[in-house]
Amino acid sequence: MLRSIFAKTTPRSNQPKLIRKCLYWSPLPLFCLLHFYEINTVRGGSMKPTLSPDSSAWNDICLFDRYSIHTLHDYNREDIVTLRCPTNPKRIIIKRILAVAGDTVKTRPPCPEPEVKVPRGHVWVEGDESFRSDDSNLYGPIPAALIESKLTRILWPPERYGPLIEPSIPINCTGPAYRHANDAIQRAKARRARVKIGRPYNVDADTY
Amino acid sequence: MCGLHVVNIACAIHLCTEFVWRVSPMEGPSMIPTLGVSGEYVLENRFTPRFFPDRIKRGDLVVLKSPIMPERIVCKRILGLPGDIVCVDPTGEYAPSTEHVVVPRGHMWISGDNAPLSRDSRVYGPVSMSLIESKLLLRIYPNFTIFKNPLTYID
Repeated sequence: MLRSIFAKTTPRSNQPKLIRKCLYWSPLPLFCLLHFYEINTVRGGSMKPTLSPDSSAWNDICLFDRYSIHTLHDYNREDIVTLRCPTNPKRIIIKRILAVAGDTVKTRPPCPEPEVKVPRGHVWVEGDESFRSDDSNLYGPIPAALIESKLTRILWPPERYGPLIEPSIPINCTGPAYRHANDAIQRAKARRARVKIGRPYNVDADTY
Repeated sequence: MCGLHVVNIACAIHLCTEFVWRVSPMEGPSMIPTLGVSGEYVLENRFTPRFFPDRIKRGDLVVLKSPIMPERIVCKRILGLPGDIVCVDPTGEYAPSTEHVVVPRGHMWISGDNAPLSRDSRVYGPVSMSLIESKLLLRIYPNFTIFKNPLTYID
């Protein structure tokens, strides 16, 4: 099959035909990218060191699930999500959800209030290291409608392939690996300590 | 193989309605008298607001995702763009009528045409421009109307 496609492309006269064929069939993959899964590179440092850490030579390439956000509206605390930047519609940012509607969060410096209750339909998102990221501490709670997709697994680099799991210290590990794992545990602990889980808002069926 | 062609064409049509133009039904009392309560069909322009967000003007009718209910889509009119000073509620129902706010960067002030039956920026404040899905161009059914921008500036 591959060889036959290749054989067809080699003569120059057939190249436009192949391009036309690709164009004709492009709606199917585009539809899947739009509504099911999407593969993207994580640039920028806001999720360091969980994604694209300094120790890695590459930017992480990850698989993002759009279906469970757009269709099922299924997101929760601790999920890493991509969202449209609230102040710039063209920018997509990646953050971790700290708190969902109803929760109370202890904020970090740029935020004027010491504690914020997340309003209805909103989420509180933050980067993993505060000094690297513009997040809810700057923008305030973000409408959940801005969430685009949810990270499901890292695809590249191969040594970190797999879904993101709860940080733990691997057996018999010393040196830098131990320090990194320990730091991840401490960060997760500190993050959770700042969130007081509250009751979700009642969903009323009014139609304004 | 024929089935795959059909699916492919269905996907192409879907992408068109998602990114270029779409005819959709409108519902709800918040935009009376511009739009009726039910049974009206309008043509949305989904291309410009998404790819050229700077072309949004005051007075445009936009369709956006509701900031307080993520699964819901609402239609409102834009009153204020970033940097504008807006009176929160001139009737004094939700806030004292003397209260004014500055619309922050990347946000806008939206309002329904039917103030008593609309939940809009008076309730939840300025909303992010990233929530905009489309702009209304015209009503197709029952009375064909082109939505003109009704805004007039007072010097």
